[in-house]
Amino acid sequence: MHFVTGGAFNGKQAWVKGKYPGSEWISAYKGEPLVEDLNTLSSTSIVLEGLEIWLKEHSAEMTVNEARNYFVNVLNGYIDWENSAQNRKIIIIGTDITKGIVPIDKNDRNWRDLTGWAYQDLSTRCSHVDVIWYGINQTIKPCHSKEK
Amino acid sequence: METASIIFITGGVRSGKSSFAEKKAAERASEIGGSLHYLATGMPSDQEMENRIACHQEDRRKSGFSWKTWEQSTNIGSLASGFREKDVLLLDCLTTWLTNELFSQEADWNESYLKAVFHRILTEIEAIRKNCHQLVIVSNEVLSDPLHEKNDLVFMYCQLIGNLHRQIVQKAMQAYAVEAGVPVLMKGVKR
Repeated sequence: MHFVTGGAFNGKQAWVKGKYPGSEWISAYKGEPLVEDLNTLSSTSIVLEGLEIWLKEHSAEMTVNEARNYFVNVLNGYIDWENSAQNRKIIIIGTDITKGIVPIDKNDRNWRDLTGWAYQDLSTRCSHVDVIWYGINQTIKPCHSKEK
Repeated sequence: METASIIFITGGVRSGKSSFAEKKAAERASEIGGSLHYLATGMPSDQEMENRIACHQEDRRKSGFSWKTWEQSTNIGSLASGFREKDVLLLDCLTTWLTNELFSQEADWNESYLKAVFHRILTEIEAIRKNCHQLVIVSNEVLSDPLHEKNDLVFMYCQLIGNLHRQIVQKAMQAYAVEAGVPVLMKGVKR
């Protein structure tokens, strides 16, 4: 599982398209729902785009903790899907929305909290994490530094 | 003339990006025995802006290098013919320039208007970089907030500045993200 993040309009989509050509795309920006069970799809390489939007929807429907637990379950399902056959790959794109000013609206704060937690839960389960900065990727996992 | 290279530098507010950019430009100018030019896009619209500008001017005066300052809020490309082969240019900053361009005309921010502004800025950057030795471009990191409405002015502005940054990073010889005063080299090699 590969997590690709970074600020808005930094070229995450273009980078993923270059790295994983021919993948099946499910996009929250097009109003498509989060696929909970990847076995319903036939592709072996799947890109889920706009995770922050799906998290926003879920943060409106349940408490932050409930939403976080729900999402962890979904992620564990993705890992099982990836491991159950050769050459399966899931790539998740999520815009980093966590670095600005604390939002005034309580729902926006919840959304942002959930996004921060969910991205941590996601990174922990991913073999690869890249941050895209204006088209340039910085691989932050696996970590190649000497500190382990 | 050989086309000049671009050094692109971004950072948050008060991250030290301008000081670092001035240092880079001054180093380059001393290496080649060139002249330093400062392209200021900010307009002294109020007292706070005046103070900020004065602060930057003082820094440049103290640096011991001599800078020629050009105050130009829009249409920066019109300055191109005034530069020479051994000039090192520092443009500070792109976000202000974009804001000035967007508000310079009374127009609806529709797709064709935004596209026109986007291409105008890239064309003007190209025009000035052709007429100098080195172009250093400073910009702000503004893409960290959650974005909501697609028709929102902030959304459209962010999309534009993000696309401009990507284009400029692609052209740049070096790109830096300055974090709390520490420049992090994102593209290119240290020299």
